Amino acid sequence: MTNKVGAVMVVGGGISGVQAALDMADSGFKVYLVEKKASIGGTMAQLDKTFPTNDCSMCIMAPKLVAAGRHQNIELITNAEVEMIQGVPGDFMVTLKKNTLRVDEEKCTGCGECAIKCPIETSDEYNEGMKKRKAIYVMYPQAVPLVFCIDKNKCIGCGICHEECKAKAIVYDKKSEALEIPVGAVILCPGFEEFDARLKKEYGYGSYKNVVTSIEFERILSATGPFFGMVLRPSDGEVPKKVAFIQCVGSRDEKVGNTYCSSVCCMYAIKEAIIAGEHTEGLKPYIFFMDIRAVGKEFEDYRERAEKEYGITMYRGARVASVEEDPLTKNLTLRYSYEGESRSEDFDMVVLSVGLKPPEDADKLAKRLGIKLNKHGFCDTSIYDPLSTSRPGIFVSGAFAAPKDIPTSVAEASGVASKAGAIIAPARNTLVVKQSFPEEIAVEGQEPRIGVFVCHCGINIGGTVKVPKVVEYAKTLPSVVYAEENLYTCSSDAQERIKEKIKENNLNRVVVASCTPRTHEPLFQNTIKEAGLNTFLFEMANIRDQCSWIHMHEPEKATEKAKDLVRMAVAKSRLLEPLKTSRLEVNHAAVVIGGGLAGMTAALDIADQGFSVHLVEKTGHLGGYLAKLPLVEGGMKPKDHMDHLIKRIRESKNITVHLNNEVKDVTGFIGNFKVKLKDVELDAGTIIAATGGLEYKPTEYLYGQDPRVMTQLELEDKLAHKTFHGKNVVMIQCVGSRNEQVKYCSRICCAHAIKNAIEIKKQSPTTNVYVLHKDIRTYGFREDLYREAGQLGVNFLRFPEGTMPKLEKKGDNLEIVVPDVMLREDVLLKPDALVLSTGVRPNPDNVEIAKLMKVCGSKDGYFLEAHMKLRPVDFATEGIFLAGLAHWPKFIDEVIAQASGAAARAMTIISKDQLETEGIIAAVNDDVCNGCGICDPVCEYKAIVIVQDPSNPDKRKAVINEGLCKGCGACVAACPSGAMEQKGFKNDQMYAIIDAAFTGGK
Amino acid sequence: MSTTTVQKTATKEGEDWQPLIITFCCNWCSYAGADLAGVSRLQMPTNFRVIRTMCSARVDPEFVLRAFSKGADGVLVLGCHPADCHYIGGNYRTRRRIALLRMLLEQYGFDPDRLKLEWVSASEGPKFQQTITDFVKEIKEIGPNPLKEDQVEEH
Amino acid sequence: MAKIKIAQYWGAGCGGCDVALLDIDEKILGVAEIADIAFWPIAVDTKLKDVEAMPDGYITATLYNGAIRNSENEHVAKLLRKKSAIIVSFGSCACYGGVPGLANLTSAKEVLEYVYTKTPSSDQQGAKDPVFPQHETHTKYGDLELPVLYNTVKTLDQVIDVDYYMPGCPPTTNLINQFLGIVENHVKNGAPLPPKGAMIASNKTLCDECTRKKTVKQIDAVHSAFEVDIDPQKCMLEQGVICLGPATRAGCGAKCLEGNQPCRGCMGPTDQVQDQGGSMLSALASIYKVQDKETQMSEEDILKIMTQVKDPMGTFYCYTMPKSIIKRSVKERPRVKKEAAP
Repeated sequence: MTNKVGAVMVVGGGISGVQAALDMADSGFKVYLVEKKASIGGTMAQLDKTFPTNDCSMCIMAPKLVAAGRHQNIELITNAEVEMIQGVPGDFMVTLKKNTLRVDEEKCTGCGECAIKCPIETSDEYNEGMKKRKAIYVMYPQAVPLVFCIDKNKCIGCGICHEECKAKAIVYDKKSEALEIPVGAVILCPGFEEFDARLKKEYGYGSYKNVVTSIEFERILSATGPFFGMVLRPSDGEVPKKVAFIQCVGSRDEKVGNTYCSSVCCMYAIKEAIIAGEHTEGLKPYIFFMDIRAVGKEFEDYRERAEKEYGITMYRGARVASVEEDPLTKNLTLRYSYEGESRSEDFDMVVLSVGLKPPEDADKLAKRLGIKLNKHGFCDTSIYDPLSTSRPGIFVSGAFAAPKDIPTSVAEASGVASKAGAIIAPARNTLVVKQSFPEEIAVEGQEPRIGVFVCHCGINIGGTVKVPKVVEYAKTLPSVVYAEENLYTCSSDAQERIKEKIKENNLNRVVVASCTPRTHEPLFQNTIKEAGLNTFLFEMANIRDQCSWIHMHEPEKATEKAKDLVRMAVAKSRLLEPLKTSRLEVNHAAVVIGGGLAGMTAALDIADQGFSVHLVEKTGHLGGYLAKLPLVEGGMKPKDHMDHLIKRIRESKNITVHLNNEVKDVTGFIGNFKVKLKDVELDAGTIIAATGGLEYKPTEYLYGQDPRVMTQLELEDKLAHKTFHGKNVVMIQCVGSRNEQVKYCSRICCAHAIKNAIEIKKQSPTTNVYVLHKDIRTYGFREDLYREAGQLGVNFLRFPEGTMPKLEKKGDNLEIVVPDVMLREDVLLKPDALVLSTGVRPNPDNVEIAKLMKVCGSKDGYFLEAHMKLRPVDFATEGIFLAGLAHWPKFIDEVIAQASGAAARAMTIISKDQLETEGIIAAVNDDVCNGCGICDPVCEYKAIVIVQDPSNPDKRKAVINEGLCKGCGACVAACPSGAMEQKGFKNDQMYAIIDAAFTGGK
Repeated sequence: MSTTTVQKTATKEGEDWQPLIITFCCNWCSYAGADLAGVSRLQMPTNFRVIRTMCSARVDPEFVLRAFSKGADGVLVLGCHPADCHYIGGNYRTRRRIALLRMLLEQYGFDPDRLKLEWVSASEGPKFQQTITDFVKEIKEIGPNPLKEDQVEEH
Repeated sequence: MAKIKIAQYWGAGCGGCDVALLDIDEKILGVAEIADIAFWPIAVDTKLKDVEAMPDGYITATLYNGAIRNSENEHVAKLLRKKSAIIVSFGSCACYGGVPGLANLTSAKEVLEYVYTKTPSSDQQGAKDPVFPQHETHTKYGDLELPVLYNTVKTLDQVIDVDYYMPGCPPTTNLINQFLGIVENHVKNGAPLPPKGAMIASNKTLCDECTRKKTVKQIDAVHSAFEVDIDPQKCMLEQGVICLGPATRAGCGAKCLEGNQPCRGCMGPTDQVQDQGGSMLSALASIYKVQDKETQMSEEDILKIMTQVKDPMGTFYCYTMPKSIIKRSVKERPRVKKEAAP
């Protein structure tokens, strides 16, 4: 065995790279995060909002960037590129070229004085050239690392920045250097590039000012963009009334050479349209598209809301032939075909939804690294091994392997961490350093000295709430000794500032008035911890989500409310106490529920890193739905992959399989679960729920009554056994999906139907195949299947949203009547085989399992992850993860990647020896408690026991198990003697915050 | 400051009278729902102040009484839907306590509708908006907290 | 050694507290040994004007019992405060308002109306122009004055500064003796007095003194004490009888429970609790068995369960209404229907 290096290199610092780096670093490996640009963040950092929750992109991403930037085990190497990788898996030597920033990264404080004084202005790439930046600059205000760099092409060498820099960080002649770094595995996340819209000459991008790309429009929407969040026409700064979004620019387009679907453009266009309408009154968005590919979790709801609530006009099946500019008004005329006729219409602005393409230097990168690309120029992977490149030990995640959305990229990022970890597992914890914090400053008995930091959040808060007034007001509050405003209190420079101010002013409490503690409290808590304060001496006032954003038209009242909220937070802060957490031992085993593809993959991933796994399966055999997919897909039969997995599981000494079994009870908590099966109780540090989904069994279209009516799975079985002999085949899409009862799109049925249609045509070219659909949703490279089917003569017939084809039995004949959108008349078909593309349904067991595990279900009956965008495989309940169809319908490669992701997340827990307990837990005041026992039955976690008082055997008292206590506070409210307190939410603290709501001088 | 002092914001029947409502939100569902309302830019009256607790079951009846004694015109307690409680059954405790507390408030002479328990999940931004909007409207109908007026009558 | 001066006064209360002080048996002799009675209307013939004539701080310790119900109660309390070094809030009425405090559920006007026109013994029932007591009455013999009945019953510490509290309805012999012992030790041996504001009682709750057997505090129904056969060995609350013991300060020796009656809370809450009633209400509502079907239960079902508690106010605030967070009842104005905001 070669010597394994306990380090990994992640190439690319977008969201995928950042997530992979965090998961590797949290699992005991050293990470080198290499980014080509000067700061990490990638494309997501440029986005204004994310679909389908309209979360502020920067808001949800910033904590992760900051976490990566400050992680002890992650070393950021920015402005650097990989030159060469030598060696073997487990023991590579990577050669990097680190380009000079001409600024000393150690010395630069990111104060920005240099950029203010720099005389050279140039166009700002972060804002897609629509704004200016200086020749010395940072990419964006929240950039990590916050280090300025000199653009050598623009710098005139005047020396002003050198003069101005107090930190003496400017080093003009700093040389680029070559670095050699030994690592055990490499993860590639170089992301994607946008299609160059200039290549679509007919849309006039580049010559017509009011034609912009979607990424430019994203910047326009952003508060930090060129128009501060207002949508204005680049030509004249006027508010556009009609904005057209043209889809598939550079996607699904043979002429430009990109035949694949870019997967994300439909959703981002809907998002941009919604946000544009919200930001700018009187703006009406129109979307021109072929098919709307709203395949993800709750995407279909989003689409429906876009149409019904936001009044966005959707031109389905419309392809825009050309855009022409009126040279006087700069308005734009679109010529397009819609429902079989040619039309034209005028717009004030056009947004081109540009597709995703491989990074420009993908070819060179592939050569240097010795990896293969696929025919589209993306990294070549197999559907059964979606995270591996062609070179062992080098893995890929995110859009470099195929266009994909953020949650998929994040799940994959965790997945590659699992794959890379498997190679270097023996070297875990060999190269990491433990995070150390300064010794805690003792604050007991000191007068409170509170610092208040009020965030503008760009214009998110400052645009409504008068932040300076809030700061002035905060200064007048008792115990407040310091208050200031920040553009972004969450930015990495602001963290340094907070730390400085704590030192300067001897602050012993910190209040941040910004967004929600749900996302940002940990960041600020860590900051004050780094300054030596106990993390619980921190309090937040939510003046954005619960103030400026919901009172946008009442700036005065919102400002008053913000003051109130700050006063309340300060009042509570004054009474905050430092809390101690303790350490708990971690059980290193995992329980995986569900023996289908997701469960088997996750179990093997965990076992491959040397941890023991219990795989629990309800039925008598492993494999799940894979057994029902006998046709070759991706060069192999899914069933063969299943057999391969089952064989590996049998051979693995780390996996115990529990067939015909199910979970009866789950107790305990992260690191120490007890999972009770029918016959045995398992100890585990983590649980993965991979309970799968079900095929919808139709009740419509005479299914089960007429032998000619079948589902796609049944058809696939017949095709595999060569027993299908239909000559006139009709397939109906969306049976049991996208209807009144089940609103969501089941994601996989379109491709499944087309796969079968192709197989029919291959077996019998003369057979007529009709696919009746609303949209064809073959996203990503599966678009090639759609095209192939078309070439083979499969007929696609679109019917309108809100209708379904009608089946009648005339004598013994089946007759299908379908309203054809293109012909604008009903079409009659007489099939001898009717195939129903039935949707996916959530596993009904989820309800019970969710209850046992104390996790949530989504509105459609699938499991609900902790955050749709950035925590796609985590549950809100710590230590429990999800994967596969239990989360949402998905394809084999997606299931595998997600299952690996869940495995990696689980291993961030069980790879540790100890975990820290919660700080916010119940505590008993022994002087008051008499063991009356009211609290005991109130605790759902059995964390309270009534014991004999050791000092007086006649007396009783309550004792809290700190490992079991979840800190809900139910017992505290129940306690009639006042002996029970909830740390961090003590009675006097709660009274203080309540009282402070009323003491305003209004 | 003694607990008897009640903020005198009421301008009697005047149209300008703006109620002040204390809204307790549990961290996992309702607070997230309130955040979602924000993220979705759902506009609503400014008359409420959210106080976050980990679970609605932390909302001690004494907190509600305290809020009324200080002059709150209404108190909203928001928690996870039945069966959705992040802490399994905390919300059932809340529901029983609030039911009993409403009976008590009625004996005190308060309109019990000044205290309302509602379930708002993390995905129910619009419901948060609706709940706040409706409750503000209802409290405007009920009028100012009578404790504020009684203060004036006492010598 | 000069004797100390003590006083006892009876505000709005039943007189039980005065009797309680006499009920300490032979210990009363010990009191006489160290103390002179400066003022005790029920026992000695000192008049108010005699007290007024005393120098400030003349009385070493005054035990004030009864709530502040009228202007006279308040006047005497303030006078005694001036004349006394130590004021002890004596008994539940002085400490928490006690039973008279329940008058805060109504107003002075309503009380007078009821007493003078509606009680069965009143001969003004149905009278056209009933006569009510007036604060000032001018007669040919001179002006007469009656105390003003307050709208709101107050505790002693809501009108004057109080040094010590001794709750109980009435305070038990034990507690009185405990206090007298402290004073005696202070006078004779110069031992320090307790810190100002101290409770002459335990800071644990009654369960600490109650010897009944406690198992699991879970109930599925509430019963009145007279409805059920109470097992004298078992925890009262666990049998579904509302006992305020868990929310009530210990120090009484659990006498009611010894008599197989539930605690009604006369000792008030512990130092950690603001509102005894609210605290007990929360505890009681918390210990109903969480049933699986609670998921499906409607608000009405829950209300039905909770209305088993017939009179929450009388049950939970029997002794502490004036000291509660809300303190007294209020009157709502009629609702004004408003059109939906545009």
